[in-house]
Amino acid sequence: MTREKLQKLSAAFLLIITFGLPLVIRSPTYLHILILLFLYAYLTTSWNLVGGFAGVLPLGHAAFFGIGAYTSTVLYLQYSISPWVGMVLGGITASIVGVIIGLPTFKMRGAYFALATIAFGEGMRVMVENIDSLGPFRLNGPRGLQIPPLNVGLANLMFSNKEPYYYIILIMLIAVLLLTYIISCSKLGYYLNAGGEEPEAAKALGVNVARCKLIAMAMSSFLTAFAGTFYAQLTLFIHPKSVISLDLSFEIAFIALIGGRGSIAGPVLGALLLRPVSDFSRIYFGDKLPGLHLIIFGTVLILVMIFQPRGLQEPLTKAYNRLLDRLTQKPTEKE
Amino acid sequence: MIFILEDTINGILMGSIYGLTALGLTVIFGVLKVINFAHGSMLMVGMYAAYWAVVLTGLHPYLALVLVVPVMFLFGYFLQDILIKPIFKSEREVREPITVIIVTTGVWYVLDNLTLLIFGPQYRNIQDNPLRGKMLEMGGMLISMPKLWGFFTAILTALAVYWFLQKTRMGRAIRATSLDRDAASLMGINQYRVYNIAFGIGTAAAGIAGATLVPFYNVFPSVGVLFDIKGFIIVVLGGLGSISGAILGGMIIGVIESVGAQFMAATWTEGIVYALFLLVLFVKPSGLFGMRYDW
Repeated sequence: MTREKLQKLSAAFLLIITFGLPLVIRSPTYLHILILLFLYAYLTTSWNLVGGFAGVLPLGHAAFFGIGAYTSTVLYLQYSISPWVGMVLGGITASIVGVIIGLPTFKMRGAYFALATIAFGEGMRVMVENIDSLGPFRLNGPRGLQIPPLNVGLANLMFSNKEPYYYIILIMLIAVLLLTYIISCSKLGYYLNAGGEEPEAAKALGVNVARCKLIAMAMSSFLTAFAGTFYAQLTLFIHPKSVISLDLSFEIAFIALIGGRGSIAGPVLGALLLRPVSDFSRIYFGDKLPGLHLIIFGTVLILVMIFQPRGLQEPLTKAYNRLLDRLTQKPTEKE
Repeated sequence: MIFILEDTINGILMGSIYGLTALGLTVIFGVLKVINFAHGSMLMVGMYAAYWAVVLTGLHPYLALVLVVPVMFLFGYFLQDILIKPIFKSEREVREPITVIIVTTGVWYVLDNLTLLIFGPQYRNIQDNPLRGKMLEMGGMLISMPKLWGFFTAILTALAVYWFLQKTRMGRAIRATSLDRDAASLMGINQYRVYNIAFGIGTAAAGIAGATLVPFYNVFPSVGVLFDIKGFIIVVLGGLGSISGAILGGMIIGVIESVGAQFMAATWTEGIVYALFLLVLFVKPSGLFGMRYDW
């Protein structure tokens, strides 16, 4: 068997398993955990477009998540506009905000950029917490918004069981991974990489680094807002502390960093390894050992940064390649 | 109108304690060119250290500083030596390694949640301490005594750090390293030892700020986050690396908070602070008082 065939086979196998899982796992709790896992994998992959490829450290992505959640929810509650439409409108709003924020901040160096995005995210939370209505739109301040689960169905992106949510987020994740793959093979991907690692050299070669970063930011915030809408429809209740929290911004960045930023598999791998840790430690130790999962997160983050600064994907990718080598080489040896 | 003056004074006093927190950040940044995201957690650790020193021994809160300062200095010294030095060694050519920011964020999460695990989420405060609730009456104004003490402590600490940097041999080595680490190394300065000491001083400053807060502030595991983000804002506002900028920036934030609360919901003042911060970042990223290398 050739190497390429084997790779395709394992990918197909993975697809079948992920699509088949809800047939095996009937418990809504475990299905919910899987949905959150894919949601985080989706979020970290979207974050990776800026945080990984563009080589900066954005720590305010919860703001875009919040824009997505609030846009679709407000439009649905006040004007009965389908959340699918709200999702796209939220994405457009988020990418406009992302570009506005990106214009001045991309000129800043490492630490300044991180601080500016924190201030942007926190400023957004403070704003939403303090206003009841923005023009004609009711945001309801710190009390948040609740979606009555009345018109269940695909048109309203609202379901009474978990399986449809599972498939929707799975498809969203696959789509965003494909998009990341296409970008990483495109000119834009190479430009971003060059601009992230050696901005001066890239500029000297005629790459418009600032413009590439803005495009990445617009895409990343657009996609992040989609996840916000999905989350709002999943939980049917949003408030500023849940959808625009600093913790969310940090968690997205952490998972991507531990998995390995700048790579395609890294953010997904990070979510795959860390989300279960956080969910299960909350389920089993939540009352006795509060905050245990965050201690684990922090420790893993420190260790990974010291010993594997390119993330956990690096040794795992190597191991995977070695396995492929061994599997494909054996037959040739026999021949 | 006297209430505005009263609020301004109380804002300056509280702001000087913010400034003291930011002072530690700015010393660390000045030398390592790295923002210590765990700084609020250092302050939290300092608060717990002071709290337990007072509760267990019955000391005056300010006498607890005798314990807090050396403990926090060593804490910062070894934290940098064990966790951050390896990164500096492996990323030698990078001037502002982002990796270090991420590691300090990890330290923040570990410290805060370890404290939560050990001491629980409850708010603690020292009920019977000689400073609690004391007010100074001055021309019809009420000035908080513990904050006044905090103000003096902040000024004294800033002067002490300034003196240390200007007048001692080690201080000169620190300044040299902050200007140009390679040139300093060539002059025989052990740059990693300088980093350790700068980190120790910064952490001790956070510890002092924590100890001065204990007489009038609640002690709880996530208390650092409140000061962390304020600290970032203040150092950028005052100019990263500037000691006087840190104290003055802290006072500005303190005044905005306390005077602003008279005219709007207190939660809005937080928004104003963020807006001001972004404005300064966009318009004058070197800060209000910062020069390129201001020591």
